[in-house]
Amino acid sequence: MSEAIAGREVERRVVLDLDRCIECKSCMAACWYGHGRMTGINFVEVGPAVLPLVCRQCDEPACVEVCPAKAMERGPTGVVARAAFSCRACGSCVRACPFGVLSLEMVGHQVAKCDLCDDRLERGLEPRCVAVCPTGALRFATPPEIESQGLTVLGGRVAGDHPIRRR
Amino acid sequence: MCSEPSSDAAPAARCLLCNVGCPVRVIRSGPDQYLPDYVPHAGYAGLCGRGSVLVELLDHPERIHESHRHAPGGRVVIGTETAAKEIAETLRSAGPAAILVDGNFDVDAIAAVGRLAAAVGARWSVCVEASDAGLVHGLDSSALGAASLVGPEALAAADAVLIIGNAYATHPVAAHWIFEAKTSHPRMKIFAIMDACGVTAGFAGAVFQPRLAPGEAARAVDAIASGKADGLGPDSKVLAACAKALGEAEKPAIVVGANLGYADAQALGKAVAKLAAKVGATVCPLTTYGNAWGAMRAGAAAGAGCPIELMKSGPKTLLVIGRDMGKPAALKGVERLMYVGPMPNETSRAASLVMPAAFAFESAGRALLGPGREVSFGPLLAPPAGVPTLREVLAMMGAGADARGDVSKPAAGAPDVPCGKAEQPADGAIVLALACDPFDFADGSLTRQASWPRSVRPRPVLAMAASDAGAAGLVNGEVVRVDGPAGSARVEVQTSEAQRPGQARASAAFAELRSIFGWAPGVRVVGDPATVRLRKV
Repeated sequence: MSEAIAGREVERRVVLDLDRCIECKSCMAACWYGHGRMTGINFVEVGPAVLPLVCRQCDEPACVEVCPAKAMERGPTGVVARAAFSCRACGSCVRACPFGVLSLEMVGHQVAKCDLCDDRLERGLEPRCVAVCPTGALRFATPPEIESQGLTVLGGRVAGDHPIRRR
Repeated sequence: MCSEPSSDAAPAARCLLCNVGCPVRVIRSGPDQYLPDYVPHAGYAGLCGRGSVLVELLDHPERIHESHRHAPGGRVVIGTETAAKEIAETLRSAGPAAILVDGNFDVDAIAAVGRLAAAVGARWSVCVEASDAGLVHGLDSSALGAASLVGPEALAAADAVLIIGNAYATHPVAAHWIFEAKTSHPRMKIFAIMDACGVTAGFAGAVFQPRLAPGEAARAVDAIASGKADGLGPDSKVLAACAKALGEAEKPAIVVGANLGYADAQALGKAVAKLAAKVGATVCPLTTYGNAWGAMRAGAAAGAGCPIELMKSGPKTLLVIGRDMGKPAALKGVERLMYVGPMPNETSRAASLVMPAAFAFESAGRALLGPGREVSFGPLLAPPAGVPTLREVLAMMGAGADARGDVSKPAAGAPDVPCGKAEQPADGAIVLALACDPFDFADGSLTRQASWPRSVRPRPVLAMAASDAGAAGLVNGEVVRVDGPAGSARVEVQTSEAQRPGQARASAAFAELRSIFGWAPGVRVVGDPATVRLRKV
């Protein structure tokens, strides 16, 4: 791992409970208004459902490794975030992200990137997307915390009450 | 100006873009810059996209800040008090005069409009969504006691639920308590009467999809109560199963929104009340306007008339407060049009005199979210300098400052809204109905100009059956023209295997789409579905 990426990893991540998402996009709206009207949440069609894709805060983030401007960095809290002024919108991170959670925004030629709302983490609050989710589909938790609620964690990032069957 | 976290003594600001009435807060993020602040506090259970948009509306660049006249040479700015006096004098002297006020102001402001109308000798009325008006009248005129009409938080105690309408989409935060009920009662049965392609259907154990014919949803509810489902199609066995589940439950609940063909709403309200009384269910009504109940009751108590009858009577002078009446053709015959409100719209652009007023959520007030659910709310932020609250505007016009809205009595007395005729689509045609959604408020008059709804959905999306799209040679995502009785509009096609063939849905928030329906008194009931055709552009 390069020096730029080394450092503390996040303990909690945003985990999506697939069985509770009602596709209301409240998370997207909250992220939009909390980040200068750019959202760090994309949506993807999974069969008949439209589910939010949130940054997975990877242990070895490809976006950080490929960024030529050192705009993507892991901060002291372990959160991988984008330094807005340094970003040149080259799109390398968008292409490198294996999960497709980054998007190339045209406004201001900046890339929207989830930073786990570190301004709220400092206040002891959850990320905005988690705080607004009406059904509790988005949770800010560790995998053991999710599993203690009787859910199966899939790939460390999504959860459901059954490993295969979906609502 | 800085928003401090609300103390226990100060009532929370409330989002009134639906009748869940979520508490909302802002936080200062820079000089003159505010963000929504999502923090747990009393009553907070989440906030949908519409609620997040409120903060953008506070400082929207198109907001009305000054009183002005529209003159041949352009806009002439005038003083606020001058404008108020001129409006009052015009109403008094250039009759017959009428006042239409949007129902999403607080109940005391609505009562003050009644005082103004009495002072100047004008008729007046309160406008809410047609479906809300129907549902309020239907439930308020029933024998269902106030104790049976509950807010969404009471749904957490239910052990069987019937959901009418796409509630998870129209009122996302209401879903919070249904999920809580499901956590407490994992085997809880959820039935739905709605389009099978709506997101709520994915969480229901069984779905009955009514045809898009006014009155059909009410007939389905009657069938649950009576056990007779003649003419409702093969799906109707779902209704029998629902009747059994509700009858056997200890705490059954019925959640009812009214976006299934608006003329249905009053009949639907009455049918739901009858069913609830029969099975001992509580009823959670979900309205598009947060203060629909407060507006209808305060208006009725203060002498407001029916808005349709008001416009049919042919006023020559009309003051519109906060409402977008749509194309100028809707105001044919009005010689002096005046507007008071926070945001520009078709009506303000056609008005000869315009005055600014604060949004309802920029002042303290009272709202009635449902029977027995009166709330006092505080301002989210004070309005911009020089922009008066509606009550201040009305006081300037001579309404007095101490009007108090009476919301204690049901808003009864409205005539039954006739159900429109069921459309029988010819070959190649489909029946289209409009519905509300979590991205835009009601007719979009407030939220369509905000950045987030525009980004997530820049154009109308028409949800239709995959078979209908295939038959018309259309593919998912294609932009087409939809031709209705009174015009055409561009829409993006979204196909679904679950949508009933011959039917389609779109959001009510797009003016260009509403305009193709030709809704007008005596012609088509507002909100009625219409037969449309699609063609490639």
